[in-house]
Amino acid sequence: MAVVEFAGVTKQFGSRTALRDVSFTLPEGSALGLLGPNGAGKTTALRLILGFTHPTAGSVRLRGGSPGEPEARTGVAYLPERLRLPGRMTVRHFLRLHGTLAGVEAAHVAREIDAVLALTGLEDRADDRIGDLSKGLSQRVGFAQAFLGHPEFLLLDEPTSGLDPIGVRDARDWIQVARSRGCTVLMSSHILSEVERVCDRIAIVNEGRIAAAGRVEELVEPGESLEDAFVRVVRAS
Amino acid sequence: MRPNPVQSFRALTSEAVNDAVRRRIVAAIAVVSLLSLLVVDGCTQCGTPTIMQNGVPVELPEVAGWTGVVIFSVLGLWAMVLAGILASDHLSEPLADGSAVLVLARPVSRSTFALARLVGALVIAFATGAVLLGGSTALLHARNGVAIGAALWGGLACATGATAVASLAMTASLFLPRIATLFCVLAAVGAIAVVNALSLFGTELSGVSLLLDRFGPPLGTSMVSAVAGWIAPAEVPADPVAIAIRAVAWAVAGVSLLVVCFRGRDIPN
Repeated sequence: MAVVEFAGVTKQFGSRTALRDVSFTLPEGSALGLLGPNGAGKTTALRLILGFTHPTAGSVRLRGGSPGEPEARTGVAYLPERLRLPGRMTVRHFLRLHGTLAGVEAAHVAREIDAVLALTGLEDRADDRIGDLSKGLSQRVGFAQAFLGHPEFLLLDEPTSGLDPIGVRDARDWIQVARSRGCTVLMSSHILSEVERVCDRIAIVNEGRIAAAGRVEELVEPGESLEDAFVRVVRAS
Repeated sequence: MRPNPVQSFRALTSEAVNDAVRRRIVAAIAVVSLLSLLVVDGCTQCGTPTIMQNGVPVELPEVAGWTGVVIFSVLGLWAMVLAGILASDHLSEPLADGSAVLVLARPVSRSTFALARLVGALVIAFATGAVLLGGSTALLHARNGVAIGAALWGGLACATGATAVASLAMTASLFLPRIATLFCVLAAVGAIAVVNALSLFGTELSGVSLLLDRFGPPLGTSMVSAVAGWIAPAEVPADPVAIAIRAVAWAVAGVSLLVVCFRGRDIPN
């Protein structure tokens, strides 16, 4: 079953076209990396999947339903590029709220919170106000909320921004753990090596179109790195 | 795991109330409310007024009744304005600063989120209304002997009006900057209060003011209608049931409009 289906999706914001006739499917259990220069339409694609905006033409299906319907977003977790967390809340309070919204049973919320705090290395900061945390720690809180309730589909938009090198490596490990549990991943990133290590398929987006898509080995020509392939595809499109 | 919509609504409402309580304006509201009650205390200290007519003292309980109606209606309108002020950014702010994104990515309907934010703003307005109307009723009852039952209807009229004002202000805030929304709230409530008052005093209205009085939210009329029994002899405005139905219809229409508009709106990055 496809987790996400884009069929001829075009999205315009006024006179600007963010996506042009984009079609792709994301099979269950796969990990797709969206690569593209700034303004290519990667974030717009993620926002369409979550129902934050509606396509001008074409259709988007999330787990067989309309992204606007809450049922379609059950089991979906999102980490936005511009992460805005409520600074007044403690980390634990924030995670309890998101545990409830994610559908974690009340009897299991505390255990789930402890598990994601341990996973993301935030055990010692559980009772700190989020507003007192550094950007890197806030990003870890963002990951912690995304992992609550064992999500079936992770949407990650530039997930390692703000993390130090250790945090970047940790984040990669967390995503791999989620993948090993069968979680489908859709990740947008500028960092090619990160996408290459986490994702089994790549789509290169440029000027609102999918310029190339497939497995890494299908996109990279002999003697090329992924970066070389990326530059070649973007310049040619 | 499918979340329970009731639990989601409760959790979001609790956070919306917490957000509302932490706003700086709430401290100002508390001070203004306290001052308002002190003014009401001063206005009611003389008890039932007595005037001298040809050297004979004449009790005028209707003067006390009118004082009560005016005080009650003004305070009720203030609570409605307050609901509009609080609602003018209680939904638009988490959208603008991006903090709503994580919540709306969850299996939470937009209606649930919008209604939770509306309730968050209304809780503060209702609490203020309860303190102001309850305090003034207690003073008016103790000193002028006005009936408490009418005040309960007045409280309901205030709550209904506040719901209409807050939901319409929240809807406007999805399309307008906050300052424009605040202006709309003050202008609309002020205009309605004036045309309602003119109509109650028998002024013939025409054009827009007539339409506003006949078909607009009966913010002032519903308050006066609820406590009209305090005036002796009672001068109840025409058909209080029709006024109550119109007040409820505006509240329901306001909330429905909010939900419909928020469902169709793009969520910013």
